[in-house]
Amino acid sequence: MNATPPVVQIRDLHKSYGPREVLTGVDLTVAQGEVVCIIGPSGSGKSTLLRCVNQLETATAGSIVVLDTEITDPDVDIDVVRTHVGMVFQGFNLFAHLTVLENCAIAQRKVLKRSKDEAERIALQNLERVGLGDRGAAHPAQLSGGQQQRVAIARALSMDPQLMLFDEPTSALDPELVGDVLAVMRELAEGGMTMMVVTHEMAFAREVADRVVFIDGGVIVEQGPPTEVIGNPQEPRTRLFLERVLDPTRAHPRDKD
Amino acid sequence: MASTTPAAARTAPARARLSPRRRALISRVVQYAVLFVVLGIAALAIDWDNVGTNIFNPEAARAVLPQLPRAFLNTVTYTIAAFAVGIALGTLLALMRLSSVGLYRAIATAYVEFFRGIPALLFVLTVGFGVPFAFGVQFDSVVTKVAIGLGMVSAAYIAETLRAGLQAVPKGQVEAARSLGMSHTRTMVTIVIPQAFRIVLPPMTNEVILLTKDTALVFGLGLTAADFELTKIGSNALSSPAGGGMTALFVVGFCYLIITIPLGYLARRLEAKGARSRA
Repeated sequence: MNATPPVVQIRDLHKSYGPREVLTGVDLTVAQGEVVCIIGPSGSGKSTLLRCVNQLETATAGSIVVLDTEITDPDVDIDVVRTHVGMVFQGFNLFAHLTVLENCAIAQRKVLKRSKDEAERIALQNLERVGLGDRGAAHPAQLSGGQQQRVAIARALSMDPQLMLFDEPTSALDPELVGDVLAVMRELAEGGMTMMVVTHEMAFAREVADRVVFIDGGVIVEQGPPTEVIGNPQEPRTRLFLERVLDPTRAHPRDKD
Repeated sequence: MASTTPAAARTAPARARLSPRRRALISRVVQYAVLFVVLGIAALAIDWDNVGTNIFNPEAARAVLPQLPRAFLNTVTYTIAAFAVGIALGTLLALMRLSSVGLYRAIATAYVEFFRGIPALLFVLTVGFGVPFAFGVQFDSVVTKVAIGLGMVSAAYIAETLRAGLQAVPKGQVEAARSLGMSHTRTMVTIVIPQAFRIVLPPMTNEVILLTKDTALVFGLGLTAADFELTKIGSNALSSPAGGGMTALFVVGFCYLIITIPLGYLARRLEAKGARSRA
């Protein structure tokens, strides 16, 4: 894994909104082909961390290097970096006025300047990859949440990204639709894609992640292989969080902290 | 009828009362009865002979008929020309109002406040007479004058409508586009503006209909016969020796409806189509 330079290298990342500090010194390195799951309580800063990696949020201090480009440099051309970094959102964010196929083709054509035929061919390939090759003519609103999220994955993949960011991709889905999305993500991970996944799906993190990062209060509290972080957490905060997530009916607000 | 309101029903003395359904029925019957009585009185009060000669006079209607096609076409041409300027300038102004450049925002705000606040007729006259007089610029065709005059005024309204539409496009759409490597401008052009136009279709239809009727203001430009639009035809006929009183006004009024009602229908169709792809 050390043969190639890291895909993401975050050093001492700080992010605050006015006086409110969300991230207070995060160091994280993601290697080529690695699947990193970021877990933590709501408000812990895990989504903010992920959004800093493609600069949907601007870091307040610290440095982030993505694919050998320092994106915290104020003069960086972030659009070039973003073409190599796919992102999947909790709310899907498919372009409502375009068909499924157009959703997957538009950025290829406008950003990568691929021809219409080539863009649609690649779009279709990726739609087939997520099991929706027959829904190209549909509009996003005609699809279920799980299907929309798979289109969103296909849309990101159509840009041939070297890194995929997932921001709670299954949190807005009905429980019976979660599996389809996770299956696509697992396949992607097994294909060698470098992935950063913010998730509450502990089963996914346990089975697919190479490394699990637990964030709380704006810092990384604990990280390591899933068998350790989820199977045998060392920090009390990690243990408390996992108890509450894995056995929610037992947890009681009274027990917090 | 006050007894049918819920509040009144609650405070009414507790005695055997009609069911709400029966009361609603009686209320409806009473309302129809009152309406028919009023219509009956109106029908009796109207001097039908006078209406025949002064309002629906077939001969006077026939007299204006030859002028109508040209006037109808002119009205449509003026509307399209003014709307073309209005939508182009309005889009630019809406984007300026949302710009990160403070000066753009200030200019656009000042423009909107100014043109929204002055009567359209005042500005049409300014373009028609004031500008040529003050700057020595001559606009040859009436269409150009109308396009500039009414277009610049309607741009102010269209800008405000569009700005609301642009702001109504969910932020996630922008984030998705940016995360795919689209620049800010590319995102606006490809993703945000097309969706904003769909959102503002109903109020934009209003703008077009208002504009259609506002073309009547070109009478202030002192037109030659070839440039007459519908209202001018109607008002000329008012003073024509052929008589007929208001008949010509009714005829041209009907012509406006021929334009605006299908426009409303078309907008509803487009809206329904957009809703299908969204819902």
